[in-house]
Amino acid sequence: MKKVFVIDAADNVGTAVVAAIQKGEQIGTNGRITDVEVTANADIPYGHKIALADIPAGSTVMKYGLSIGTASADIKAGDHVHVHNVESNRGRGDLIEKTQVAAE
Amino acid sequence: MEFMGYVRPDGSVGVRNHLLILSGTVYANGVVERVAQSIYGAVPITHALGRCQVVPDLRVTRRFLSGTGANPNIGAVIIIDHFKEEGCTAYDIAEDISPTGKLIATVNIRGEGGYISAIEKATRIAQDFARQISMYNREPVPVSRLLLGTECGTSDTTSGLASNPANGIAAEKIIALGGRTIMAECTEWMGCENWLTDNAATPEVAEAIVAGVQHMEARALASGEDIRGSQPTGDNIAGGLTTIEEKSMGACKKIGSSPIVEYLDIAVPPTRTAPGNYVMYGPGMGAESISSMAAAGCQVLTFCTGGGHTSNHPIMPTIKVTGNRQSYELMKDTVDVDVSGVFFDEITLDEAGQIVFDEVLRVSNGYLTKSEALKDNNSFAIHRVGPSI
Repeated sequence: MKKVFVIDAADNVGTAVVAAIQKGEQIGTNGRITDVEVTANADIPYGHKIALADIPAGSTVMKYGLSIGTASADIKAGDHVHVHNVESNRGRGDLIEKTQVAAE
Repeated sequence: MEFMGYVRPDGSVGVRNHLLILSGTVYANGVVERVAQSIYGAVPITHALGRCQVVPDLRVTRRFLSGTGANPNIGAVIIIDHFKEEGCTAYDIAEDISPTGKLIATVNIRGEGGYISAIEKATRIAQDFARQISMYNREPVPVSRLLLGTECGTSDTTSGLASNPANGIAAEKIIALGGRTIMAECTEWMGCENWLTDNAATPEVAEAIVAGVQHMEARALASGEDIRGSQPTGDNIAGGLTTIEEKSMGACKKIGSSPIVEYLDIAVPPTRTAPGNYVMYGPGMGAESISSMAAAGCQVLTFCTGGGHTSNHPIMPTIKVTGNRQSYELMKDTVDVDVSGVFFDEITLDEAGQIVFDEVLRVSNGYLTKSEALKDNNSFAIHRVGPSI
C-alpha cells in the first residue's frame, strides 16, 4: 500500500513524499503514526498533504505536532489539504496590507 | 561520552588542526593563495572585503576574520594584509585572536618590501608553523565540548520531514551530553517565532528572537522586498507547502526541541556554556550563514539539504545530510548521509537521528567529510549590509 509520511503523532495530515496519489487509492502511513488508513478523495500531488481524519472548518490543521493553520472549510479524511481549505494564522501579508489600508 | 579532539592553549577543543593562511583584505588574496599552495596542509581563506567599507560592515568583516582565526580547528594562523587598513588590519585581527594562545603571525606586504618578499616571509613562517602543529595530538575530550553548527539549504519537500528532523534528534543527543548547537538564518524563523519563543530559556531571549526577525524583515522591506507578504512563495505552494508556519517549522526542526539558551548577534561566540541551542541573527545566504557560525566557534556543521549540495567551509567540516534519495544518488560525491530510508520503512526517524549523530562524532574524531577529501573550499563568505565607499 502506498504510504504518506507523518512527522508527529499529534498530526492530522500526512505528506505524499514517496509518490503522488491518485483519487480512490487506499493510503497507509509511516513515520510517527503507522496505523491509519484512508481513501484518497482527490489526486494528491507529490509533496502535498492528505487529511488523516475529519478536520471541521475552524479547527486546527496539525503538522510537526503544531498548528500550521486553520481549516477554512470542512475537511474530510482523505481530502487534499492545501491553500484551498487551510488559512495561515501567521504573517499573512495580504491580511496585514488590508488591515493597514483600513486603518489609514 | 568522549571524542578525540585537539585541546588548545585556552582550553577550547578543535576537531581539525589546520594551518590557516588568512587574507586581511582583498588585495592580499594573491599572496595568501601562493603561500598556501607551497605548504603542506595549509588552508587559504580569501575574500573580497576589508577595504572601503562603511564602519558597521568593517566591524562585521573583522569579527568574521578574527572569529575564523580563533576557531579551535585552527592550530596556527598567518594573517596577511597589503597596507595599513583602517580598523581591520592583520595586526588588529592578530590581536583579537591572541587570547587563544595559538601560533599567530602577521605579514604586511608593503612592510616586507613588496609582494615577492612578503611571499617569502610568510612561506618561511608557514613552513615552521606547519611542522610545529604537526606535533599536536588528539586526546579524549567530552562531547560536551562540541559546538555544532546547523544549516539547511536547497530545501525541498523531504527536508522538513527527514533530514531536518533527523538532525534535530542528533542535536538533542549532543545537548543531552552537555553540548551546544547554533542555528542562524533568522529569515527562516519567520512564522514559527511562537515555537522558538516557547523554547526560549528566558523572556530576554524570546524578545531578542522576535526583534531579530523583525529587524531582518525591515531590512528586506527597505530594499523593496516583502519577504513575509510573499511567503510561502508560488514555488513553495506548487510543491505542497500551504502556510509560512509549515515552511518555517520544517527549517526549525533541525535543532530539535531543546531550550534556546542565548540569542547571538552575527558571528559572535556564545557567552554561555550551558547545554542547549543558541540562535544567531543572520541572513538566509548559506555561505555567509555557515561562515558566521564558524566565526562563532562551531567546530563542525551539519548541512541538511533536499536537492543535494556542494557547500563546504574551509576550516569547519560540513556534513551534508539529505532525505531525498534521488538527490543522494546524483550528489553522493559531496553528500555524506542519506536518511531517505524513513520514507520507505527501512529506518525509523530515531534511527535516522542516530545515523546523523554517529556521523558528527566520526567526523569530530577526524574522519574526512566527502568535500574535505575533495579539498573543496567554497563556502567562506562575509556578511555585509552597506555599500562600498
